[in-house]
Amino acid sequence: MVNFTVDEIRGMMDKKRNIRNMSVIAHVDHGKSTLTDSLVSKAGIIAGARAGETRFTDTRKDEQDRCITIKSTAISMYFELEEKDLVFITNPDQREKSEKGFLINLIDSPGHVDFSSEVTAALRVTDGALVVVDCVSGVCVQTETVLRQAIAERIKPILFMNKMDRALLELQLEAEELYQTFQRIVENVNVIIATYNDDGGPMGEVRVDPSKGSVGFGSGLHGWAFTLKQFSEMYADKFKIDLVKLMNRLWGENFFNAKTKKWAKQKDSDNKRSFCMYVLDPIYKVFNAIMNFRKEEIDSLLTKIGVTLKHEDSDKDGKALLKVVMRSWLPAGEALLQMIAIHLPSPVVAQKYRMEMLYEGPHDDEAALGVKNCDPEAPLMMYVSKMVPTSDKGRFYAFGRVFSGKVATGQKARIMGPNYQPGKKEDLYEKTIQRTILMMGRYVEAIEDVPSGNICGLVGVDQFLVKTGTITTFKNAHNMKVMKFSVSPVVRVAVEPKNPADLPKLVEGLKRLAKSDPMVQCINEESGEHIVAGAGELHLEICLKDLEEDHACIPIKKSDPVVSYRETVGEESNQMCLSKSPNKHNRLFMRACPMPDGLPEDIDDGKVNPRDDFKTRARYLTEKYEYDLTEARKIWCFGPEGTGPNLLVDCTKGVQYLNEIKDSVVAGFQWAAKEGVMAEENLRGVRFNIYDVTLHTDAIHRGGGQIIPTTRRCLYACLLTAAPRLMEPVYLCEIQCPEVAVGGIYGVLNRRRGHVFEESQVAGTPMFVVKAYLPVNESFGFTADLRSNTGGQAFPQCVFDHWQILPGDPSEPGSKPYAVVQETRKRKGLKEGLPDLAQYLDKL
Amino acid sequence: MANLTTDGKLCIEREIDVQIIENDETEMTSRYSIADTCNWINSNKYTKVCLQFPDELLGISSKVYEELKKGTEADLYILGDTSYASCCADVVASMHVQSDAIVHYGHTCFSKTNIPVYIVLNQKSLDIDFTMKILRENLTDFNLKKMCLLYDCDFNHLKDDLTEKWFQQYPNSYIASISMKESKHRFFGRVVKNASSENFSSEILKDCVCIYVGSRGRTFFNFTVSVEAEKWYLLDPASNQLDVIQETIWFKRRRFLIEKCKDANVVGILVCKLAGDQTKQIINRMKQLCKANGKKCYIVSVGKPNVAKLANFPEIDIYVMIACPENDLYDSRDFYQALVYPYELEVALNTNRDFYFTSHITNYEDLLPGNLHYKDINDICDSTDVSLITGKIRETKVTAASSSTDLVQKQNWQLENIGHSLSKRSWKGLEQKLGESDVKQVEVGRKGIPLQYLNEPE
Repeated sequence: MVNFTVDEIRGMMDKKRNIRNMSVIAHVDHGKSTLTDSLVSKAGIIAGARAGETRFTDTRKDEQDRCITIKSTAISMYFELEEKDLVFITNPDQREKSEKGFLINLIDSPGHVDFSSEVTAALRVTDGALVVVDCVSGVCVQTETVLRQAIAERIKPILFMNKMDRALLELQLEAEELYQTFQRIVENVNVIIATYNDDGGPMGEVRVDPSKGSVGFGSGLHGWAFTLKQFSEMYADKFKIDLVKLMNRLWGENFFNAKTKKWAKQKDSDNKRSFCMYVLDPIYKVFNAIMNFRKEEIDSLLTKIGVTLKHEDSDKDGKALLKVVMRSWLPAGEALLQMIAIHLPSPVVAQKYRMEMLYEGPHDDEAALGVKNCDPEAPLMMYVSKMVPTSDKGRFYAFGRVFSGKVATGQKARIMGPNYQPGKKEDLYEKTIQRTILMMGRYVEAIEDVPSGNICGLVGVDQFLVKTGTITTFKNAHNMKVMKFSVSPVVRVAVEPKNPADLPKLVEGLKRLAKSDPMVQCINEESGEHIVAGAGELHLEICLKDLEEDHACIPIKKSDPVVSYRETVGEESNQMCLSKSPNKHNRLFMRACPMPDGLPEDIDDGKVNPRDDFKTRARYLTEKYEYDLTEARKIWCFGPEGTGPNLLVDCTKGVQYLNEIKDSVVAGFQWAAKEGVMAEENLRGVRFNIYDVTLHTDAIHRGGGQIIPTTRRCLYACLLTAAPRLMEPVYLCEIQCPEVAVGGIYGVLNRRRGHVFEESQVAGTPMFVVKAYLPVNESFGFTADLRSNTGGQAFPQCVFDHWQILPGDPSEPGSKPYAVVQETRKRKGLKEGLPDLAQYLDKL
Repeated sequence: MANLTTDGKLCIEREIDVQIIENDETEMTSRYSIADTCNWINSNKYTKVCLQFPDELLGISSKVYEELKKGTEADLYILGDTSYASCCADVVASMHVQSDAIVHYGHTCFSKTNIPVYIVLNQKSLDIDFTMKILRENLTDFNLKKMCLLYDCDFNHLKDDLTEKWFQQYPNSYIASISMKESKHRFFGRVVKNASSENFSSEILKDCVCIYVGSRGRTFFNFTVSVEAEKWYLLDPASNQLDVIQETIWFKRRRFLIEKCKDANVVGILVCKLAGDQTKQIINRMKQLCKANGKKCYIVSVGKPNVAKLANFPEIDIYVMIACPENDLYDSRDFYQALVYPYELEVALNTNRDFYFTSHITNYEDLLPGNLHYKDINDICDSTDVSLITGKIRETKVTAASSSTDLVQKQNWQLENIGHSLSKRSWKGLEQKLGESDVKQVEVGRKGIPLQYLNEPE
């Protein structure tokens, strides 16, 4: 039976200090969804016996079939905490007085790297994260990635060591070994946290510590878990020692001599590590007794730990009995709930330090203050982080977090898309919220209104947002910051309907697909091809399946996956490039040169961006990249789209009327940066310098028509004279495998132009981790290839890392880049062959 | 057809193949049907007639003129440098002398005009027997299928011979022969006939294998995209090769441009043809479409369009070009904004049209009321949609701002819109910059003419 009603939940929503918004994050297959089941079952939504198998938050059929989470799923649950546990919450902003109920809004997220955009979307609307680590395989690449993202979003982490059952039953680890494993994982996690978080920062210290109770141990599959708090409670009375003090004693270098009853800081022959003695020993005993079918021992142990078996469980034995016993002794839901309620921040606490990361506008306007104080009476500020498909085809719930004010059914609100700018009309709609709803895993519940600090869904705003947006009632509100994804859509397939007449359905389906996934891109290219771009092969596979089955509902044909390339230059233009306007009365003199390493990435990351103050930006460029200060101050624009990683710099001196043609030159630059000269691909990492401009003295002869096409021609000439090159995307690939398989990995990587840059053993395990760079273009079928070459023992995780020059000269027939250029030109319906410099370069 | 661009240098440097004309007068008379032309002028009692030659025939224009003068009293004028394209009758130029009729020489696109035109086609030689032999050899299994033969207008003088031999070889097939007279089933100046000279509409070509004898140019291109057939073959007499031609890539690109039309807020109606009231009608039709979809439109008439002229209006998102279907600028990728056919704007903005089309309508006349492909325009409501080109929401806003929301106070939407597009520009007019720029001594400015100033840096 569900132990709460929607009305109860609505009541709890007003008690903002007793709300915990949290996501569950981890590496793929470390047991997030399974662990989440424990909480869901504690809430009475699923039966306790089936917890760990149901994976309630995996709502899609393919998620259940493949045993992999694809979409993040939210669920709201109500729990009550016992009086004795409430005292652990000391911060007055962490609980309402005399309220022991807690509302937990939990989002279970996928672990596979291809879906990490879902994680990003989940993190944005939550304040805390339960980081799950499989204690057998330890901290993996995706653990680090999601943890880094969490810290960057100012999400407080707590740690859970999962799959203890495997450590005990399969690996048969000794207690001390297991402790060392735990210790190492805690350390690894804290190292990552320390790398990305500043302890003196607004979030304060966020490291996890078993002795504080912010680290849990257990098995999601078997449904048991504990923190040191649980064990300390068992012993506190016996030892007559303060609970908190005991918790400290139970972790780290604390040893107890049972004979002398003395604590020591060092190991010697007679004493034993307290964690092993008081925590692990009892668990080992239970495991041993049950798994070795020692009936009498079991009975006496059960009395000791205070577990009475229900009648129907009494004839169980072996694993089944173990599950029942452990689950009743150390119920996972209880331990998790305490960790969450005690150690994760309430919205009141979290929004104080998150506001400046979330809001683009001035930090003292009404909206900012509303967010900062999590004030339900302030103007509404809600961030929609993703769209969730409804049963009504083509319609979506807009899922997000209310940061300030209240969102209500029937309320009129401003819906602002990511391109909205205050005072302008673009991407702004004022519409009525048709309905507010509560997301409960696979079900939804209608709800009258939702106050600040809560997560909910909206009906009726999906038509005005593509993927994300801000909902507000404040007229002068700025946008909430757009999410930054750790992955990029670098793998593309072209799709077309099997029956050409279904094209309109395909187009409609693509539009729906674009909404339903936080990151997928559906693009109609200049050539007319319909492209679906995703993070990796698995991501694309799922997207295309959704497209075919849910969104377009027609059979589709798909091309082999391809990557998109970027055009760049290898050196500075070997001559001053001159192009004349069609009327011959205006002349542009320019050169192109490559950007210094790191600058394109800085632009991608927004460290250098067009909205910066030009003086600050110039100083940064001068200090870091040794740009000339005067030139760096005269960056005319970024491109393509006004934000891309290419620059147009005014290096002229005293040119008359120059301001007047700036808009036209910028337009020509945007055009050329979007469609490069070699294959009409985007440019990357090119800086164009304008050295001189001669203009006709009559304004009529130097209009856009004369300047825009001329700028493009001149930029093309600059590119062609600066050793044009192609860039391809490269994955960072982390492969985990036993030592015997390492050789096989090298073979596969070598064949695919990959190169290994790090190889290390995972401490305490026989596993090796190989890190390599692998061109995305060579990654198709990589997973299968790797499996067949290592006897199925190696699993890669690939995530886009950087762009890299494709070796070779694209203007040299026979080279690889030449072939790519020709193929791309053919696909785009362009003239085959190479662009002719004479077409773009003029003589004085 | 590259003569639509007016890059000055191109015009001067372009080499034109001038045909060497034999001074044989009988040859002249028959080649340029002098007698028939005189007959036509005289019987219709025209007093002022223009002779329109394409560039490559200008060389013999005076000869033709002299020959014609021998047979008619009418005033004759030679037209050179046609306004838009030499395949269309240049009605505007002929109006300068208020002429009654035009005699058009050379390749034609058979577009309708509102002035009488007498068409004199080129005459090229063709080895009919050899052509038939190639067909026989290559299309052996096609005896059972329906076939249709089309030929370039340069071979019209061999029409009878060709028709006879075609039906001898394939008696159950069709031929699309050139007909100068307006008739019900005429398309691109041609009428489909069978062996017993019955006329059919172009619809029947749907399940025909079509063979075009001629070179691969815009004429053939128009056929392949706008006439649905089972297959299109091109038989080029220059190479004597038979090729299957498909324009799938072209269709894909056009569908992309249709999406662009939907994205556009401001549409430029580019007028590249002046003849006939059909032009006015199609302009109105395009305006109507834009209005129904809440898009702004401007009529742009700049003579022969080129990249520089059109880039002068950066606020326009897309141009719909009203021009002869044989115009090749439609496919040019050099323009800052794309050029689309009127049909494409129709598909984008008229909900009664199917987004998926297998044949294009390059000839805009067919779109007009009363014609084959006319479709009503439905009322459109405000709606939003995702653009697959920009990845952003695109809004169809038909109702004026005043009624839709209370976001903005009631104001003049038109004025507001202009302000919006100009606000993106950084240069707002002459800047005084009082006190911001240093005081400087007078310097010597530019000298000479803008083409190249005397004191310009090297």
